[in-house]
Amino acid sequence: MATALKVNGKQYTVDADPSTPMLWILRDNLNMTGTKFGCGIAQCGACTVHMNGEAVRSCQLPLEAAANAEITTIEGLTSDNKHPLQQLWAEMNVPQCGYCQAGMLMAAAALLKDKPNPTDEDIDNYVTNICRCGTYPRVRAAIHRAATMLKS
Amino acid sequence: MGIHKEISRRDFVISTAVVGGGLAITATWSGAFAASGSTTPWATPTPANVGEFTPWLTIAPDDTVTVRVNSPDLGNGIVTQFAMTMTEELECDWDKVRVEYASATRDYLEGGVYSKGGGLSYFSGRSTSPGKMEIMLQVGASARERLKAAAAEQWGGVPVSEIEAKKSVLTHKPSGRTLRYGEVAVKAAAIKLETEPKPKPQSEWTFLGKASPAKLQISMITNGSLVYGIDVREPDMLYAAILQSPVHGGKLKSYDFDKIKGLPGVRGVAVVDPSEPRKMADDKVKSPFPLGLSAPQSAIAVIADHYWQAKVALDALPVEWDDGPGAQWKTTEQLNKAAYDAIQKPGSKVELTRGNTLEIIDKQAKVVEGTYLTPFNDHVTMEPLNGTARVTADRVDVWHPSQHSQQGFYIAAEETGLPLEKVFFHQTWVGTGFGRRVYGDDVRMVVAVAKKFPGRPVQVIWSREESIRQGRFRALMATKLKAGLDKDGMPVAFTSYSAGAKGFSVRGIPDGAYGVSIIPNVHITSEVLNTHFLTGPYRGPGYNSSAFFMETFTDEMALAAGIDPLEYRLRLYAKWPDAGWTKCLKEVAAKANWGKSLPKGRGQGIAISNWGMGGKPEAGTTVACVAEVEVSKKGDLKIVALDVSFDTGRIVNEDAIRAQVEGGAIFGVNMTLNEGLHIKDGRIVEGNYDQYPMVRMADIPKTIGVHFGGLSGHDRMGEIGEPPVGPIGPAIGNAIFRATGKRLRTTPFREHDLSWA
Ligand code: FES
Ligand code: FES
Repeated sequence: MATALKVNGKQYTVDADPSTPMLWILRDNLNMTGTKFGCGIAQCGACTVHMNGEAVRSCQLPLEAAANAEITTIEGLTSDNKHPLQQLWAEMNVPQCGYCQAGMLMAAAALLKDKPNPTDEDIDNYVTNICRCGTYPRVRAAIHRAATMLKS
Repeated sequence: MGIHKEISRRDFVISTAVVGGGLAITATWSGAFAASGSTTPWATPTPANVGEFTPWLTIAPDDTVTVRVNSPDLGNGIVTQFAMTMTEELECDWDKVRVEYASATRDYLEGGVYSKGGGLSYFSGRSTSPGKMEIMLQVGASARERLKAAAAEQWGGVPVSEIEAKKSVLTHKPSGRTLRYGEVAVKAAAIKLETEPKPKPQSEWTFLGKASPAKLQISMITNGSLVYGIDVREPDMLYAAILQSPVHGGKLKSYDFDKIKGLPGVRGVAVVDPSEPRKMADDKVKSPFPLGLSAPQSAIAVIADHYWQAKVALDALPVEWDDGPGAQWKTTEQLNKAAYDAIQKPGSKVELTRGNTLEIIDKQAKVVEGTYLTPFNDHVTMEPLNGTARVTADRVDVWHPSQHSQQGFYIAAEETGLPLEKVFFHQTWVGTGFGRRVYGDDVRMVVAVAKKFPGRPVQVIWSREESIRQGRFRALMATKLKAGLDKDGMPVAFTSYSAGAKGFSVRGIPDGAYGVSIIPNVHITSEVLNTHFLTGPYRGPGYNSSAFFMETFTDEMALAAGIDPLEYRLRLYAKWPDAGWTKCLKEVAAKANWGKSLPKGRGQGIAISNWGMGGKPEAGTTVACVAEVEVSKKGDLKIVALDVSFDTGRIVNEDAIRAQVEGGAIFGVNMTLNEGLHIKDGRIVEGNYDQYPMVRMADIPKTIGVHFGGLSGHDRMGEIGEPPVGPIGPAIGNAIFRATGKRLRTTPFREHDLSWA
């Protein structure tokens, strides 16, 4: 069954079972592999994308529910890798293996849109992603700095 | 830094044309396959317009410097470190440097160009090992001189001494003429120098040890383009979902393909039979680890056009297993009891004995005793196990997130029976390893499945549940420790009786400072339980368990002696001929404000351990930790602060070290608070994060204090990936004791009731 999708501002039509999680549609049907598989049960956040500007875990988002929505993935967060978060991620050497980081960035970007001045508690509540490498202190510090950068 | 015996300066820098070891091989590396994109890290043959100085280094016309690295980066910054080492001597522009993973196939075809000196140390392991640094420095220095020589020729034979090489530009100082590296790279690569230059001494380094640049792959992480194993996309690729015998060692009894064959996208099933004959075409060659460590499990995989289709079909496939002898382990309690029973008396293997321990231990002023246990843990690699392979009659290609691509190369050869020159192993980026991806059982399963669908690339993905339940676990281990203290409260006799699941390692106890010399009389034994669970290295084999046992016990000795835990350790290690230990303790205690007064429910704990010392002082990496915790009356635990000091001897990249220590400390928190697998009817119970929780942002302190004042300056660069995990757990446990009076002798702590009144 063909479903129309809008991902990173572009229209696509995919032929897949409407219950297929968007995670796999993005990765296997659209070849956008930046969104990662970590658990498949909405626990780890590695698969985080934006749907109409809000962070959602795409492993629990069926294709049919994403039809007609604006989906943004890490590939579409910016076209030039220059989101303040992306810049600070490099400057502050945030990622270790990097596998969880697309999800971290998407969660953090949604947080900053919602709360331009996030407290530590806001970060704890919005960015509940798992990072097995233990980058949490750097993720937190980079989000705070990005908030300052976005203000100026 | 000692010169590597087997290799002369010359051998590092000779060019590529050597074909290997007297073998009659006609295959060549170039021409083996087409080049691929820049976000894929595996090496592809060097194009003709690019100068290849040695198999380790190429420079392209646009000045791009490609450093080929043979150890995979698991997040530890290892490839960046290699490239920095090369850059120190090459004097190239850091912004032009990229890395690729060296090919194990090429290594084989060209006489071990990437592995002289031994497989294990070369295709895995750390960037600061002296042998590896030496190669990078030498290759960089040689290429720089060859670039100068080529420029001198181009400028009509000006003296080389008049040419300066800096930031990828060659300048003829008297005339001011310049050439970019890329303009003379091909010519320079063909030059043979009369004498090879000697790399400068460490004291003259300007980049290494000074700069802390961001990891080279970060920009590809932040835009999602970095290619991990699971991101490999080859034309015509199929996907497989896999299920292995839930009881390790069991056998597939039956399955009913008819039930799923009509499901969308399903192409078929692949059955992996461990008893099928497997043989290397050339059985004289030796793999880095025994190939038996990657022995296949009985398994079935569903192959489909897309992964989700394969997974849905596998979940719907009726499968029956013959569990085999592993089913005898019915519960966790049964296994724990077997371990506790086994440590009530000395074990059958004596690990270390000294003095007349057994006669004198009970006659001392005080006797302290404790029984400890750490469970099976899984690595829980962030990127679930996966890999991609295409098998044809005359070639196998494997794209894999390996921790040891050379080992994977041999496994693919054995699994297909193809000769080694027909095996192409393409190392991808890796989403964490912690030891899980070293032995290559994952490579084995991928090739075993793909060979049932010859001609098409098959990407095999373990679900998270499969990834955890089919782990190669840190082995369950229990120990009974006992010490006789003299009238000053210090230990004069010590016994340790350990037992563990097959594959456990007790070596942290005899090889630790206590075992080696601090206590005059010791008796250390072990006993192996007859278990079927598959085990493997987990961020330092045996290290984390023994650090937890020994450092919790040390606190109990200090308590019995009525001496402050820090003071007690300082007295103990005063006798140990490695000043780094007391230096680390003093540093971390000062930074954490050790001994500050805290209300009930708050407490500090301290611990110290070493990974890599192998029974010797001034070896390996020593790490000390002070943890501060708060425990509510109801028993909720909060880690308030973690301070860590360490002694690797020397360091080269401060920020990279800091990141590793932070990550290691957080791993240690998770291991201690959360991790422990349970058993039911021979199977592992936990499958996903809902049952096997991980710490998240809110669970750890906002900053982790990483302190550099413990460095002894000793002439070694110990590794920093595995060591920081060790002291975290016991420091937290000791802090909990100070906060609540509750002594925790088993992990994970989340299973303990910490409430207090
Ligand atoms: S894969 Fe979706 S939350 Fe883990
Ligand atoms: S950076 Fe490796 S899992 Fe987060």
